[in-house]
Amino acid sequence: MLQVESITKRFGGVVANSDVSFSVDEGQIVGLIGPNGAGKSTMFNMISSIFPPTEGNILFCGKRIDSLPSYKVAPLGISRTFQNLQVFKNMTVIENVMVGQHMRTKQNLSGVASMLLGISKNERKVYEEAMDILSFFNLELLYDQKASSLSLGKLRLLEFARAYATEPKLLLLDEIAAGLNHSETSEMSELIKRVRDSGVTILVVEHDMDLVMSICDKLVVLDQGMKIAEGAPKEIQANEAVIAAYLGAEIEEEVV
Amino acid sequence: MKLRGVQQTKWWGVVVFIAAILIFPLIVTQSFFITQATFAGIYAIIAIGLGLLMGYAGQISLGQAAFYGVGAYTTSILTATWGWSPWLSLPIALLVPALLAIVMGYTMSRLSGYYLAMATLALGIIVHGLLVEGKGITMGASGFYGIPQLSLFGMTINQGVPYYFLVWFFVLLVLILSLNIVHSRVGRALRSIHDSEIASSSMGVNTGRYKMQVFILSASFAGLAGWLFAHMSYSISPSAFTFDASILFLAMVVLGGSGSVWGALIGALLIRMIGITVHTLGEQFSFITSDSEHVIYGLILILVVIFMPKGLFPTVIDWFKNTSIKRAEKKSSVPVTPIKQSVSE
Repeated sequence: MLQVESITKRFGGVVANSDVSFSVDEGQIVGLIGPNGAGKSTMFNMISSIFPPTEGNILFCGKRIDSLPSYKVAPLGISRTFQNLQVFKNMTVIENVMVGQHMRTKQNLSGVASMLLGISKNERKVYEEAMDILSFFNLELLYDQKASSLSLGKLRLLEFARAYATEPKLLLLDEIAAGLNHSETSEMSELIKRVRDSGVTILVVEHDMDLVMSICDKLVVLDQGMKIAEGAPKEIQANEAVIAAYLGAEIEEEVV
Repeated sequence: MKLRGVQQTKWWGVVVFIAAILIFPLIVTQSFFITQATFAGIYAIIAIGLGLLMGYAGQISLGQAAFYGVGAYTTSILTATWGWSPWLSLPIALLVPALLAIVMGYTMSRLSGYYLAMATLALGIIVHGLLVEGKGITMGASGFYGIPQLSLFGMTINQGVPYYFLVWFFVLLVLILSLNIVHSRVGRALRSIHDSEIASSSMGVNTGRYKMQVFILSASFAGLAGWLFAHMSYSISPSAFTFDASILFLAMVVLGGSGSVWGALIGALLIRMIGITVHTLGEQFSFITSDSEHVIYGLILILVVIFMPKGLFPTVIDWFKNTSIKRAEKKSSVPVTPIKQSVSE
């Protein structure tokens, strides 16, 4: 479904990604992991067309997407969440989700002008659909709250719900569990599996190893911009290079 | 039909607004105040457009007076020089400022940061310069005269109460149109751009195009105001379309509250009232000159930005909401918490 072909990204003299290739198959949950500064977020930003790669191609369903403007990627079926939370904070929870439905609904300026009294049928349908999405993500009781009043855990759920509302084929989750407590994290991993079961392919960047190991079908490990391993969680846990670069360091710290 | 949790047009507000328009000339009969109220309506149209641009597209224009002037001069030239009917020149007076906005928008390809503010500032100065220097067409600094009056069904719409109603009818149209835009899917998209442009475009919102559309709309509104202004008086001069006027429009929006259609309208009324007050005081006290007006507008801008950055209207609304919640708490002696925790916690 998604093919990343020998991607290199340079920011001036800094090489953030160097010749990285991997693929994501339909129906999988794939994890992109690596220590800080490995180039995971850079890769994510290129897949969602925030900025283009310096070299290489990114193909989605056989189509090149690496040089599209970012608003054209969503209609193809790619949606994402943001590590640093980009919730629309002056809008209510349900309005956030309704923006997610934006491109699936049509209403031009003349339609707006003619909508002099009452609400168009369309608007009502969008509203009801948004409510369904909110209950899928256990947010239905907060629907009329300003997003800025939500806790971090709820904000992460809202980002997830908003991205899901675009009806993506591929969903990119950027550290969706960062800052969550243990029970919230396990709730999140259940949710990710449920979303996958509803027919969405998922690519996650994640630091929480328990989460990654329990939900992912495949892992891609980056270190200092290069891919050092790819495979099932079990294989990755046993991989020497990965242990040296990443897991090993973490275990050593824990021992000390 | 009410959809809770979604911003919607409150129609009772529109009804109150219409009532106020109808009642005003019954209470206030002095022609001076009717004329001032007519001017306030013309400014309100510009302020609403600028409010949409600032509050919903997150852009600042320092050159709305240019679009206002282009609209006024377009209709003046078409009607006085070329003998068109004013009603025929109305769409052109909307279209020419819109085209100007399109050209500006495209040259700056993506309207971001403060580039639009700088570019519109320059536009304002250029347009003013052209109006003064283009003597062959605009009759220069002394002003363009001979603009025909409007007439409807064979009756001339005179300055005074008839023109007051005409202007405020257009304000009503602009208001309803703006409220509908703001409370639609398009408005939601615009508000989302204001909060996080990057997330907005990841949801498939073509952010550049929407910002451009709002910019064009605000230019058209200013053009409409220019059309109304030109046909109200027999003559117009470039002095009405200076940088000072652009700052005045900005002050209206900032005072009333950008991001609120009602706020822009109220801001326009308040600024106009302050102007009249200063003017009246100036007749009694010689130390109050017309320059004091600008000092006061400057002070207002500073005070509003420091003490209520959201602007007057949204601040007052929030205050009302908070006190009503507190009152409800006192009555029931149990805190009314609008936030219900979700099941999982």
